[in-house]
Amino acid sequence: MAPGFEFFDHTADLGIRVFALDRWALVPAAVEALYAAIGELVPGRDGEAAGFTFVGTAAASLLRDFMAELLVAFETRAIMLTDVSVRVFEDDRLEVGGSFRPVDHDRSVLLREVKAITYHELSLEKTGAGWEARIIIDI
Amino acid sequence: MAEAFTGPLERLDSCRWRIPRSYKPGMRVDGLIYADDVLIDHIRGDRSPEQVANVACLPGIVKYSLAMPDIHWGYGFCIGGVAATDPGQGGVISPGGVGYDINCGVRLIRTDLRISDVKPRLEKLVNALFANVPCGVGQGGRIKFRKADLARLLEDGSPVVVRQHGLGWESDLEVTEAGGCIPGARPDYVSDTAYERGAPQCGTLGSGNHFMEVQVVDHVDDAHAAQVMGLEEGIVTVMIHSGSRGLGYQVCEDFLKVLQDVPRKYGIDLPDRQLVCAPVHSPEGQRYLGAMRAAANYAWCNRQIMTHLARQVFAAVFEAPAERLGMHLVYDVAHNIAKMEPYDVDGRATELCVHRKGATRAFPPGHPELPPRYRGIGQPVLVPGDMGRASYVLVGLPGSMDHTFGSCCHGAGRMMSRGAAIRASKGRSIHRELLDRGVIARARGRTGLEEEQPDAYKDVTQVVSVLHEAGISRKVARLRPVGVIKG
Repeated sequence: MAPGFEFFDHTADLGIRVFALDRWALVPAAVEALYAAIGELVPGRDGEAAGFTFVGTAAASLLRDFMAELLVAFETRAIMLTDVSVRVFEDDRLEVGGSFRPVDHDRSVLLREVKAITYHELSLEKTGAGWEARIIIDI
Repeated sequence: MAEAFTGPLERLDSCRWRIPRSYKPGMRVDGLIYADDVLIDHIRGDRSPEQVANVACLPGIVKYSLAMPDIHWGYGFCIGGVAATDPGQGGVISPGGVGYDINCGVRLIRTDLRISDVKPRLEKLVNALFANVPCGVGQGGRIKFRKADLARLLEDGSPVVVRQHGLGWESDLEVTEAGGCIPGARPDYVSDTAYERGAPQCGTLGSGNHFMEVQVVDHVDDAHAAQVMGLEEGIVTVMIHSGSRGLGYQVCEDFLKVLQDVPRKYGIDLPDRQLVCAPVHSPEGQRYLGAMRAAANYAWCNRQIMTHLARQVFAAVFEAPAERLGMHLVYDVAHNIAKMEPYDVDGRATELCVHRKGATRAFPPGHPELPPRYRGIGQPVLVPGDMGRASYVLVGLPGSMDHTFGSCCHGAGRMMSRGAAIRASKGRSIHRELLDRGVIARARGRTGLEEEQPDAYKDVTQVVSVLHEAGISRKVARLRPVGVIKG
């Protein structure tokens, strides 16, 4: 199973289902899903190295926290994370690296504003076919 | 899609349905949903009644966990939910009972213009509003605030915007809920990230269901109340629906994290972790309230700045100052907020913490918090519908104090998911359909009109009629959209 994502319905907002063969591969797919919810974003050149570490008690919450951080970066600095590499993803720790690049506004299409990455129905679990995370974003 | 609710919904009368306290362990009070026979069928379709039952488990909750007819599934609390807690009885404050968009709310501006004056310049007007009122993703505000200036707005609300920045009229403040400033705001409890998100966004509409609409008063139900508000059939109004933007979202985000372990600390058992909360009188509860009030004050500034921009646009298009066009603010009211308000509980005067999440305050005639102008008729309640049908102006009635902690519905209530709305738009032009209904629409996002199309919402007339019949509020006027801008 190739990593990927799909949107699912939620009354006023938007659900994201991310799937992959292993837990680590969920992370870049979740990044891709977040940006796809915002629009068709194209990164510009001249990236800057970025690193994130989150500690906690549940993998789903760590993934949510990471996505929330990316949302703030997009909103306040108009940058997006590319070349995502996952160094650690355990139940209590998530370490991700990558490159923050400016959004190329001339080549991007913005669809909607994402207010927040919620805890609503948040899950991350092993399935028969691999791993799956479900995240609902507030629009 | 969400599973349907299969629990008990006992009909009390033609407007009210009860979820008995016996439904699930931990419920301290009954759940009570306002709806008619048709709306209750929609409501059963998702898990929002379950959320009403969950909220009934909160410590210190008084009388009922309430839901308005525009209820739908939310985070922790349903949208359209009202819960009052008694701090003296261990009552809690919950960010989930306010929502991410703190003080999302609505304001209505009336004009002396008649629809016949506006129609010939309507397209020009809508285009000018679209060009001058920032809306959509990444659109910054026209006025930039430094952190220190922003902190003043957070502490003192829209009076700062009007009196120091000259972006409005003194009379605007009289008809803004709480005068545009809730006392007790603590800008120092707001994170740097929230400041960073909020600084460039003050005076911007946002996207999603936020809008600015040009409307015509097309029906008046209560001529006296309408006259007091300056409304009459055929005149043009402007409605603004927006909130506290990224600043408010971040305050909610920050406190959902901060409060995660707090229920355990105070021995509070919750059926849903999204109901994270803290006793109102606890340091954690006070901290959230201080930050929430700051975000609420920001939201009033946000809507005030957009009012100023709308007046500038009208002045340019109709070649007359806004004062001469009679562009007075009718009212501004929050529908995502928690406030301390006095109530009579079993004959005892008590200050309660009233959570309104997707619910509008609806105080009756004579309430001391109302501006003198409205004390005789009751508080204007502004209920946006959808961009194809109608919105309503109501007034609060004494029944609201007796039954709903001075609260009413906040909109039509979403019925269709965003995905379903997009799918239902395949092969159609929503823009064209709106034009056929006489509505000129401009939207920044490519799918904005599809996601927010009229069919995605319940019929607002049906929603407000339930509360009219229940004696919570009374219809004053119906407003029909003729122009809309969206993010």
